Amino acid sequence: METQTLTPRPSLFRRVFSTDHRTIARQYFFLSIFAVITGVCLSLLMRYHLVWPHEKVRWFEAIWSVRAEGGIMTEELYLSLMTLHGTIMVFFVLTLAPLNAFSNLVLPEQLGRREMAFPRLNMLSFWITLVSFLTLLASCVLDEGGPIAGWTAYPPLSAVGAVSGPGEGLGQTLWFVSIGIFCIGSLLAAMNIISTVIECRRPGMSLMQMPLTCWNWFVTSILSVLSFPVLLAAGLLILLDRLVGTSFFVPGDLLIAEQHNPHAGGSPLLWQHLFWFFGHPEVYIAILPGMGIVSHIISNFSRRAPFSYRACVWAPVAIAFLGMLVWGHHMFISGISPYSALTFSLVTMSIGAPSAVLVLNWLGTTFRAARLEFPTAMLFCLGFVSLFVTGGLTGLYLGQPEIDAYFHDTAFVVAHFHMIMGMAALFAVFAATFYWFPLMFGRMLNERLGKLHFYLTFIGAYALFLPMHFAGFAGNPRRYADFTNFDFLQAVMPLQHWITMTAFALGAVQLIFIWNLFSSIWRGAPATANPWSGSTLEWNPDGEISTLGPYSYSNSGSETN
Amino acid sequence: MPALTEPKVGGPPPITPLPPRRGGGNNGDDNGQGRRPSAEASGSMVRIAVYIGMCASTMTFAALASAMVVRRGLNPTDWHRLPVPPLLWINTLALILSSIVLDMAGRAFRAGDRPKFRKLWLAGTALGTWFLVGQAINWTFLAQNGFYLRQNPASAFFYVLTWAHAAHVIGAIGGLYYVTYRMMATPAIPMNRNVLEVSVIFWHFLDIMWLLLMAIFVFWA
Repeated sequence: METQTLTPRPSLFRRVFSTDHRTIARQYFFLSIFAVITGVCLSLLMRYHLVWPHEKVRWFEAIWSVRAEGGIMTEELYLSLMTLHGTIMVFFVLTLAPLNAFSNLVLPEQLGRREMAFPRLNMLSFWITLVSFLTLLASCVLDEGGPIAGWTAYPPLSAVGAVSGPGEGLGQTLWFVSIGIFCIGSLLAAMNIISTVIECRRPGMSLMQMPLTCWNWFVTSILSVLSFPVLLAAGLLILLDRLVGTSFFVPGDLLIAEQHNPHAGGSPLLWQHLFWFFGHPEVYIAILPGMGIVSHIISNFSRRAPFSYRACVWAPVAIAFLGMLVWGHHMFISGISPYSALTFSLVTMSIGAPSAVLVLNWLGTTFRAARLEFPTAMLFCLGFVSLFVTGGLTGLYLGQPEIDAYFHDTAFVVAHFHMIMGMAALFAVFAATFYWFPLMFGRMLNERLGKLHFYLTFIGAYALFLPMHFAGFAGNPRRYADFTNFDFLQAVMPLQHWITMTAFALGAVQLIFIWNLFSSIWRGAPATANPWSGSTLEWNPDGEISTLGPYSYSNSGSETN
Repeated sequence: MPALTEPKVGGPPPITPLPPRRGGGNNGDDNGQGRRPSAEASGSMVRIAVYIGMCASTMTFAALASAMVVRRGLNPTDWHRLPVPPLLWINTLALILSSIVLDMAGRAFRAGDRPKFRKLWLAGTALGTWFLVGQAINWTFLAQNGFYLRQNPASAFFYVLTWAHAAHVIGAIGGLYYVTYRMMATPAIPMNRNVLEVSVIFWHFLDIMWLLLMAIFVFWA
């Protein structure tokens, strides 16, 4: 009879404040799940209000007695929901899930190790992030209401305090504090990932033998280290504007709510430069890990190495490098020099080249597959490719100053970034969840439910965001709480109704995933050690490093590598 | 191979040897199972983390300095130059000297010259502490002469940049004091060489950063 050594179960404290990278991965994952559910609910409330702004909803009043008096959402409440939705989705979903959650889950094993470089720092970065999230939530439950300045928090209105509107007092201050804390948490996490990749590879594993996921997390972390400090610095300056009365971002002679503002000489453009110097790389912080995940999973289910491993390494590096140089394309109509706009435009367009290289690689890998398999994870990867192409193409429109002058601040922009940064990145998260769920919980997600969820979500994503482009064509502005007062938008209202109905349907479809996730954690089929016959070391931690690279699948189409 | 640790009383300082360099990943300071024998990170790992931290700090200072350039360029009319605080040059000299002395201390440590290391390290730490005290005196001088944070953008940026630098210095001095504490309180326990080395590296970084800030303030702002 086999004897087993019983190790005492760690205390609850040890399990909660764990330094184990997989526990931390699960913590990040569930924080993202909670955040995305919150973010989706907020978006549904917004969509409801956009098409039925004067309908009374009793429970609105029960929740927001001041801001939804009589059951009708005020415009300030709409704006605070919009601010919270954007902030939660960008920071706590699209940054945390693809980068921090999944890198913690498999990065050490993929490098042939068992630990991140700094386990305690790893734990600290999660708890700092959680404090940031709680601070953000705290900013929205104040009597005065949540901040209303949007996730970009443009000054001057975000920098002058409560005079600029309800929620712009303590709520907005807490928002900035939350983002500052988030920056610190993300910097620590990035520091850990970079150190792990550089120093914790198993002897014998060169950088060019790493799985593509590792490369993308590595590059994304470098982007984090270069961009989050800039947001931190900008946040510090704007907090001084708000709390001390300096004038970094607030110009003089402003009359706000019939009060003369004492600030003088600052420039809102300065904030835009600093914010977008962070903000655009943030887009790539959200999408680059997804690219790595997709390259990795497509290779697994095509049973062959990527069409060009080197291209899959260097294209994200090029995207990240160029992504640091294009922040000005968010400011085409902010009054920057036309020469600057032209430069930013050209660099923006050039990002299309490495992006196309990646897409061709993904397609090339599938076209020359030894044997194609289509489990849910693979379907989500193919969905990612589709959404990435669709969302990327509209980016080429918005990257041109002349066209952006028309589309800026319209629903077209909302559709563009929801397609590429929202849905595409989330598809990568879904793919990663289905693929690595066995490593997270030792069980399999239900494939039948997974495929149903995929097809409905894929159709829903296009049904929701494709018509939104057309609303943008018609000049439908974004960030408006109510379209009913504008004659020229009445023709778009049927489209808006369609978008709202589709949003609710798409939201309901996600319940399939939530059900699948939580039921599979406890009742899913037990997973085998290597359920996808993967070739990388997270599935076989004691395996040898192949001299043929991480994706050394046999081209014979056999089950084994 | 002679042991690098020397527990003799009065002899060279006890040193934790750095692991030998090898290609491909971590320096092989674990047991081959991916877990290091102790929870302590290897020297090269710590150095890399400090270099990454220095990159992040550089980006923060670059963002603040760029903001200063843009703010002045967009509205030069309300920009009023600050008087040079009396201790600015003395402070700068103290910081440069501390950097040199700490570097010499690090060399003495590696050479095993314990008394020299102790003297130089204490001198470097004292100079570093003086820099921080001097900065506080400078801020008081400026405030007494009517240059407050919100007085004008030049003083606002001076305070923000010097505060940001001082915040880094406080963190770095924490490292210096930790080494001092270990040196004085527990001389028999082998000193973790990583802490010493990264403290010196980060101190040099702050030194260079201060010189750049000084150049901006004195010659441009």
